[in-house]
Amino acid sequence: MKTLILGIGQSMRGDDAAGLEVVRLWQTQHPVSAAQVQVEFSELPGLDLLNLLEGMEAAILVDAIQLHATVGTVLRFGPDELASFTPDAGSAHGWGVAETLQLGSSLYPSLAKCRVMLIGIVGGQFGMGAGLSPVVHEALANAAEMLENEVRSLLKSCKINRPYSRGTPI
Amino acid sequence: MNTIEVPALARVEGEGGLYIGVKDGQVIEIRLDIYEPPRFFEGFLVGRYLQEVPDITARICGICPVAYQMSSITALEKALDVEVSPQVYALRRLMYCGEYIESHALHIYLLQAPDLLGQPSALDLAAIAPEVVKNALRMKKIGNEVLKAIGGRSVHPVNACVGGFYRWPEAVSLKALLPELEWGLGAAKETVRWSLNLPYPELEIDYKFVAIHHPEEYGVIKGEVWSSKGSKISAAEFEMSYIEEHVQRSNALHGHTVDGGTYLVGPLARLNLNNAQLFPEAQKALKDASLKLPLKNPYKSLIARAIELVHFYEEAITLIKAYNPSGPAHVGLKLKAGEGCGMSEAPRGLLYHRYKIDENGIVKFAKITPPTAQNLPRIEADLYAMAPQLVEMPQEQATLTAEHLVRSYDPCISCATHFLKLKIENRK
Repeated sequence: MKTLILGIGQSMRGDDAAGLEVVRLWQTQHPVSAAQVQVEFSELPGLDLLNLLEGMEAAILVDAIQLHATVGTVLRFGPDELASFTPDAGSAHGWGVAETLQLGSSLYPSLAKCRVMLIGIVGGQFGMGAGLSPVVHEALANAAEMLENEVRSLLKSCKINRPYSRGTPI
Repeated sequence: MNTIEVPALARVEGEGGLYIGVKDGQVIEIRLDIYEPPRFFEGFLVGRYLQEVPDITARICGICPVAYQMSSITALEKALDVEVSPQVYALRRLMYCGEYIESHALHIYLLQAPDLLGQPSALDLAAIAPEVVKNALRMKKIGNEVLKAIGGRSVHPVNACVGGFYRWPEAVSLKALLPELEWGLGAAKETVRWSLNLPYPELEIDYKFVAIHHPEEYGVIKGEVWSSKGSKISAAEFEMSYIEEHVQRSNALHGHTVDGGTYLVGPLARLNLNNAQLFPEAQKALKDASLKLPLKNPYKSLIARAIELVHFYEEAITLIKAYNPSGPAHVGLKLKAGEGCGMSEAPRGLLYHRYKIDENGIVKFAKITPPTAQNLPRIEADLYAMAPQLVEMPQEQATLTAEHLVRSYDPCISCATHFLKLKIENRK
């Protein structure tokens, strides 16, 4: 099973970088798992998310989220929950993850079969400038552990043991 | 007409508001309020080494980073009296082809077409016309692949530098794109045919069109600044004819001519001023379309973009077939203090840069005039021209018509410094 791990976020917009940092931390802590999947990073994937998912059978997206919940909370959203997200394509250049997945599923049957889940880290500040808020920084380890559990679960279910990685940390 | 408020105008980039004041059945005020915070890129550049400039300015926009790279590079090369080889110039054109392809495919099908087809969004368009949207995404992807092959990544590519490129891209990587580009050329020609039958609103404006013109190629990177009123100036003379000023309600500067007039940059201006320089297939598409030039309807910018798509697919194919790099990919720079102006045609229109550097190549002054800032006063003027029609329309239709007009310019408020909410207020 071809599996993508995608860290998403803008490194210059505060807590939005959490998705990138979680995947970097997980790569460092779990190199064996990381070698068996494809790892990518994207600051603003937009419609290119569809290209990244092309040919994949499973994907775990890791991204900062805005939610009425305690900052630093780490949440897992399965495929059904992701499909229920309300699209909000308010910007020409910034297609969000939810609407892009919905567009892809409606256009490409193969993409609809890709098992996509999201690990979301609730962020508190998304203003200009690099650097996570302390509470989000503290949450990285939890999120990386959740990611490792999900990857192991996928690898176990698919009995993947071949090396497969072309991603490098950015 | 009662107050209309749209929380955010969709399918434009950035944040701002549109206000239309109506009194006694007459539109008395129209404002495009750009309230997104200014981005201070020109300030960031001061104190930086000149080779940092292309990759910093590229970050101004995720859709047209090549435009920012090319305008800054040509300005800095002017300051240093650098001449690049024909091979470097051809590769720059190819990189720009990639940008035009991905930007125009996005705007035609995903941003403006939903308006013309009565759909709220591209998602809704995909539901009723999945093959149209799939083809659009495939066309866009090819443009991004060209950028990736030259610049290492499909968005914000690197590799372009003052003096040329850091390295030649692999010929095999570029030539591998030819089959998809050939498919794209066919899809672009079909896009022109499709675009001719869309239901464009009636609106004819006597614009002053302004674009880069070159007698031997479709004006993109080099040439003079021509206007449809007959003026022909060099990049160095740009600020003597076209200036920007601060508007209190807006975080974007507004561009106008020195005598206070508005002008239009972008695909309509390019097509009207440069159609003789289109590649043969694009010429044929234009001829077959039986269009009466100059095109003066802003909504029909879509047709101009479609014809340009044909041109840039065709040019990309030609350039890749001829690609056979030899010699250094960039020239060595001899630093000296100086000043240079540069310009290129971003997909949205003319993009002008000017820099002053010291003897160590450190930027002492930077000025960037993006296309959307130049078009903002023109968009307001066009909304005034539409006003008599708008006040007669039901609220919802008026809102959609005004939004569509703004979207037809493909405004990039991120570049200009951002954009849109619509409020139509009936003043007592």
